[in-house]
Amino acid sequence: MKIIQIIFFLLIALSFGSCKKYLDKAPLDTINSSNFFQTAEDAINAINGAYQPLQRPKLYNLRMWTSDIFAGNSVVGAGGGTDGIETVEEANFTTDASNAGVLDLYRGPYPGILSCNLVIKNVPGMNIDTTLRNRIVGEAKFLRANYYFILVRYFGDIPLIIVPQTPSDNLYPARTAKADVYNQIIADLKDAISLLPPKENYKGSDFGRASKGAATGTLAKVYLTLGNYADVVPLCQQVTAMGYTLNTNYADNFDPAHKNSSESLFEVQYSGNTTFGFFDDLNQASWASPFMGPRNTNFVGGAYGWNQPTQEFVDNYEGGDVRKDLTILYQGCPDFNGNVYNSSYSTTGYNVRKFLVPTSVSPQYNTSPQDFPVLRYADVLLMESEVLNELGETGQAEAPLNLVRGRAGLPPIQTGLSKDNFRNAVLHERRVELAFEGQRWFDMIRINNGQYGLDFLHSIGKTNATSKNLLMPIPQVERDANPNLTQNPGY
Amino acid sequence: MTSTYKSYIFLSCILLLFPFFSQAQAGLIKGQVHSKDDNTALPGVSVLVRGTGKGANTDANGNFEIQASAGDVLVLSSVGYDTAEVVITGNTYIEAFLNNVDNALQEVVVVGYGTVKKKDLTGAVSSVDTKDFASLPVPNAGEAIEGKAAGVQVISSGSPGSNVTLRIRGVGTINDADPLIVIDGVPTDAPLNNLNPDDIASFDVLKDASAGAIYGSRGANGVILITTKKGANGKGHLSFNFFTGWQNAARVVKMLNAQQFASLNNEMLTNGNQAINPAFANPDTLGVGTNWLDALFRTAPMQNYSLAYSGGSDKYNYYVSGSVLDQKGIVINTGYKRYTVQFNSQAKVLDWLNFGNNLTLTADEKPSGSYDIRSTMAANPVQPVYNKDGTYSNVTGNSLWYGDITNQIGTSNINQNNTKGYNVLGSIYAEISLLPGLKFKSTAGLQAEFFDSKSWAPVYNFQPNPQTQAYLSEQFNKSLTYLWDNYFTYDKIIGSDHHLTLLAGTSAQNNKFDYLSGNKTNFPSSITQQLNSGTGTANVGGDASEWALFSYMGRVNYAYLDKYLVTATLRRDGSSRFGQNNKYGTFPSASAAWRVSKENFFKHVNFINDLKLRAGYGVTGNQNIGNYSFASALQIAQYNFNGNVVSTVYPLVLPNPGVQWEQVEQSNIGIDATLFHNRINLTVDAYIKNTSKMLVPAVVPVTTGYSSTIVPSINAAKMQNQGIEITLSTKNLVGAFSWNTDFNISFNENKIRSLNDSTPLFVDNYGLNANFGIDQAGHPANEFYGYVTNGIFQIQKDVDNHAVQQAGTDAHNSTSPGDIRFIDLNNDGVINAGDRTYIGNPNPKFIFAMNNSFAYKGFDLNVFLQGVSGNKIFNANNIYQESMSTAENQTARTLDRWEGEGTSNYMPRAIYGDPNQNSRVSTRYIEDGSYMRIKNITLGYTFPKQIIQRIRLSSLRLYASCQNVYTFTNYSGFDPEVGVNGVDYSVYPVTRTISVGINLNL
Repeated sequence: MKIIQIIFFLLIALSFGSCKKYLDKAPLDTINSSNFFQTAEDAINAINGAYQPLQRPKLYNLRMWTSDIFAGNSVVGAGGGTDGIETVEEANFTTDASNAGVLDLYRGPYPGILSCNLVIKNVPGMNIDTTLRNRIVGEAKFLRANYYFILVRYFGDIPLIIVPQTPSDNLYPARTAKADVYNQIIADLKDAISLLPPKENYKGSDFGRASKGAATGTLAKVYLTLGNYADVVPLCQQVTAMGYTLNTNYADNFDPAHKNSSESLFEVQYSGNTTFGFFDDLNQASWASPFMGPRNTNFVGGAYGWNQPTQEFVDNYEGGDVRKDLTILYQGCPDFNGNVYNSSYSTTGYNVRKFLVPTSVSPQYNTSPQDFPVLRYADVLLMESEVLNELGETGQAEAPLNLVRGRAGLPPIQTGLSKDNFRNAVLHERRVELAFEGQRWFDMIRINNGQYGLDFLHSIGKTNATSKNLLMPIPQVERDANPNLTQNPGY
Repeated sequence: MTSTYKSYIFLSCILLLFPFFSQAQAGLIKGQVHSKDDNTALPGVSVLVRGTGKGANTDANGNFEIQASAGDVLVLSSVGYDTAEVVITGNTYIEAFLNNVDNALQEVVVVGYGTVKKKDLTGAVSSVDTKDFASLPVPNAGEAIEGKAAGVQVISSGSPGSNVTLRIRGVGTINDADPLIVIDGVPTDAPLNNLNPDDIASFDVLKDASAGAIYGSRGANGVILITTKKGANGKGHLSFNFFTGWQNAARVVKMLNAQQFASLNNEMLTNGNQAINPAFANPDTLGVGTNWLDALFRTAPMQNYSLAYSGGSDKYNYYVSGSVLDQKGIVINTGYKRYTVQFNSQAKVLDWLNFGNNLTLTADEKPSGSYDIRSTMAANPVQPVYNKDGTYSNVTGNSLWYGDITNQIGTSNINQNNTKGYNVLGSIYAEISLLPGLKFKSTAGLQAEFFDSKSWAPVYNFQPNPQTQAYLSEQFNKSLTYLWDNYFTYDKIIGSDHHLTLLAGTSAQNNKFDYLSGNKTNFPSSITQQLNSGTGTANVGGDASEWALFSYMGRVNYAYLDKYLVTATLRRDGSSRFGQNNKYGTFPSASAAWRVSKENFFKHVNFINDLKLRAGYGVTGNQNIGNYSFASALQIAQYNFNGNVVSTVYPLVLPNPGVQWEQVEQSNIGIDATLFHNRINLTVDAYIKNTSKMLVPAVVPVTTGYSSTIVPSINAAKMQNQGIEITLSTKNLVGAFSWNTDFNISFNENKIRSLNDSTPLFVDNYGLNANFGIDQAGHPANEFYGYVTNGIFQIQKDVDNHAVQQAGTDAHNSTSPGDIRFIDLNNDGVINAGDRTYIGNPNPKFIFAMNNSFAYKGFDLNVFLQGVSGNKIFNANNIYQESMSTAENQTARTLDRWEGEGTSNYMPRAIYGDPNQNSRVSTRYIEDGSYMRIKNITLGYTFPKQIIQRIRLSSLRLYASCQNVYTFTNYSGFDPEVGVNGVDYSVYPVTRTISVGINLNL
């Protein structure tokens, strides 16, 4: 008995023994942030993470292009009723602080901003190749400026966070004045212009990253939005000097076979990879084609019938505009990949064609590898034209406009137009050239302090729209989460 | 030793109560044996003089005569009664009483790392009677206990193979409030489905903290201790149970038929200024159309076979069983098949060494279909299920006219989702007697769960979501949990008045879960459902996580004179889930009981057989807080440049390095009384349960950049549950016709005491655009929150005179007559988010159950009622199905919609786009969730012994049973038994089952 007792007391002693290691379990599928930012790969992975939020439905996969719906170019269509109800509300200007689309726009940029802030805080001090380090910091500044540019245009004053926050920080910031946000955007873009390499320096799997041209063009658009016309022209000219050209074929801008073309300053990249769920934030497939395909048809994999152009919009095409057949599906249009269009596919009789990807390229709803354009050279040319006109150089303004018209198969603009008529011509051209790319709303709210947009909306019967609608409401759930957030007027 | 102890106490009672002393010499002893329950004389009791061959039996009047001398011990035994021992002290007449074995006080209750007799309990523990598990047509022990224990709320989801949700003494936390389940000593996350209910010997629920504290950081939500059956000494035993049943949906919501749908669609579009469907110009011609819900539901069979053999001697015993369950679901293409094997044995290998094992093997298969109840409700009744050529019809044409619901019968039939599980739950133990009273027990346990899921979707041109390429997805999951418990127990009677039991030990448990998944597209044929056969894009995935727990525990039980009982426990838990600063938590408890009926002053109170007062206090924890909440981690994902995939790293969740367990402090007082010759058993408990350090999502504004949907939790909130539980069992009639009633009722009031700050938590999102519920200090958990309706605007003047809801002059897109009037609670003239308030409590005020069992000759009848009261349900299906703003089908209640002044004051107008947001979260969707259900009626017949002994059976019973017979409720949805949070959204309806079965023993 004695021996047995000893054995067992030993066993007990063992089991009572030190178990510190036993209780140490770290996550097996994530990286511990305390020992990150050591190598060049860490820095690259971190900056790649700053791009990814652009892909999400909260931004370029859905919400950024559905702005054309409330801009009056199209209607939701979709499944009717609650499918896209938040966008229907936006288009009826009955948007309130609980609108899910608005929440997406508010929530979309900040995760990207955090990634940028982490890079901007950590990478400059890393001991890695200088060229790479500058590039990565430049990418972060470019992306941060883009994210804030989205926020400031939709919401006006917004919390400006430029250093990564930790749990012990004040997590409930108040809104920063719009002007200060713009100052930060401009500063970031200026840094980005000096840090980033030109587009052609990127090779292979780096082609498509933020470049000097992207930052320059974006800064031009920021100045345009602020009405700093004099600052816009040199930036547009610098972009031209970098060698950007219009694609001969308008459709190439949306063709997955022509990603990052010579016309592209910056686009959100999609691979069509199905690793992550289609509705997941991390999804790698573009939503544009499946969402815009005519509902209940086999035009494309998916086909949810969103974004149906209105008659008023379609009537904007001048005769001979090659963009019409490339942008719109209408009864009698050239068939799409063997599918003949019927106006009964849509509540308006039209569907968007420019983003459709044939099933030979994307067999399923969740496989579209189509990039989404953020800034194209055509946009830069139209900005230059608009600004020259505003600066009283209407004659000089014709050349860049005519480049865009020429590519569309249209004759040069009538010479000798008045400043106002020329402005209208440029805005018309912007509306048609950039249709369904999420640009129209921003043009509507910037010109004449948004009165241009309101006048337009009233002219198409959207009498609900008032000046309060030029800014979106701050989402109620975010105000619930941060009591320091004030609401925009009228909501 | 326990049996002598027992009879010792017992005898002293007898001697106290019946002092028939005499001074006669040893020699012939006479006596009479009675049943202690009802004082009737017991015939056929075996009377043996211990250590001699002498024996006798009592006659028809319970009398016996036997030769014995002083100091001899008489052993009295009879089937159905506890064996008693009587020491001959000189008297020649013995009056003895035998306890019925099911006398509740003598029952042994499992309390965690040991057992106690019910009479010695100091905490609040409910034991569920498991006898009738064999004749309930339910596959899951969880469903079998619904209503069987006070303070235990069971919510079954209805779908085959799903598990019940258990809540003990209310919702203890807004987080994971599931109780800890311990099967044969192994704390496990194995679902109750893994067990064949017939194998369960005891089902005990530790409700208060003084009982649960021995499980420390896992005891806060209560502990359920399940023990499987053991072999009994004596002759071998074979038992066979079988039932077959038919299930159908107890109630199905009535939807509009085709012509009603078309009329509504026309009205909705006209009101919304949209073109109406020319095909619906004359709705009457459309007839009734398709009833999609009827097409989805079916009458489904269920069968269960269970066979067990058991036996043993004083050296060894065994219990082995096998069972097969085959259940089809009431929704097409759903079902559940389960195979179980249970093997328990105990062996006295050496005088001082016992070994034992419990082993549960389960294999199950769950075709879970690809149905969607809510979408099926929404399907267009004008559309047939099939085209003329037998293919599934498609939604075609304008979605404002025909909706956009994929053919739900088609997808349910064609797509497959299957889960297969293979589970091992086993433990082996050694028990060593070191010194008299001192034992050491070491238990090694293993839980291995393997479950595979497979989804298959063949090519099919469903609109609007065609499956253009066949898709196969498979996932293999593995979860391994190891346990090693070591503890000493010391049991000592000091003098004759002090009884001391000590427990001290350690427990170590760890788990690793991992999975591997893959999917592929483009399969040439439906026959080749293997990933290798796919030629399209392949994706793989996989992940793993771990946790570990190391604990010290101790317990002292002390009883003085069997009258004053004290229990104290202490557990110290270290968990890998806790942050570095809070690695270990300590969980103490103490409780005491006073058996008043043992006091001298009480001995004249004849109608009270036993009376015990209890009081206890303890601290327990909840460590279901996620495995890695403390970690500061970067997620890995991907992006691409120019089509080339690159990896990305990004921060997702704000870390909380200080995270620790949630803590519950609970005080409990209770009374146990046995009255009128054990005819009445009454237990009353009252408790206050204070949860502190409750994890609440940190309010993470998205401006931090961290996810605002996946947020860290912080130990900041407080909650309180207080309640009263009453359990009353009465033997109303005894004798040839017997009638017993078991009744329990549990009142609980839940309140959130504080959150981390004044900001409420909005809950119950369901992927919709609004939250239905709110957690706010001063209010119960998950209370509904929204607008308050006040009828319907009948005329434009009503609209004009009311606060602005949706401004405008155009009835198509602004508030108009026929829209719902929402109350302007803050009187600011505008209806907006500031006008929301608390609109309903999903937590019941009380839950109750009553079982009446009748027996006459061989017949037995059980009628079981169960219900809840005072809770509200949020009928979220109706956000769509009564919105009347889309081309989705609507419930038949929308026939009462507003169609002009005075036509309705509760169902608004139909209007496309819903400009007034009639379907916003409001009291419109709040319904009374109270119900009383005739949960079960079982009628059985047991054949007389004389007949069945001829065919060598020891018992044979046939029965018929109906589960979920009828429900009394005002709820308009499928069934008021929805989830704990009270939201009814696409919930699988409750199943009514009619079954017949057989219980056979030999």
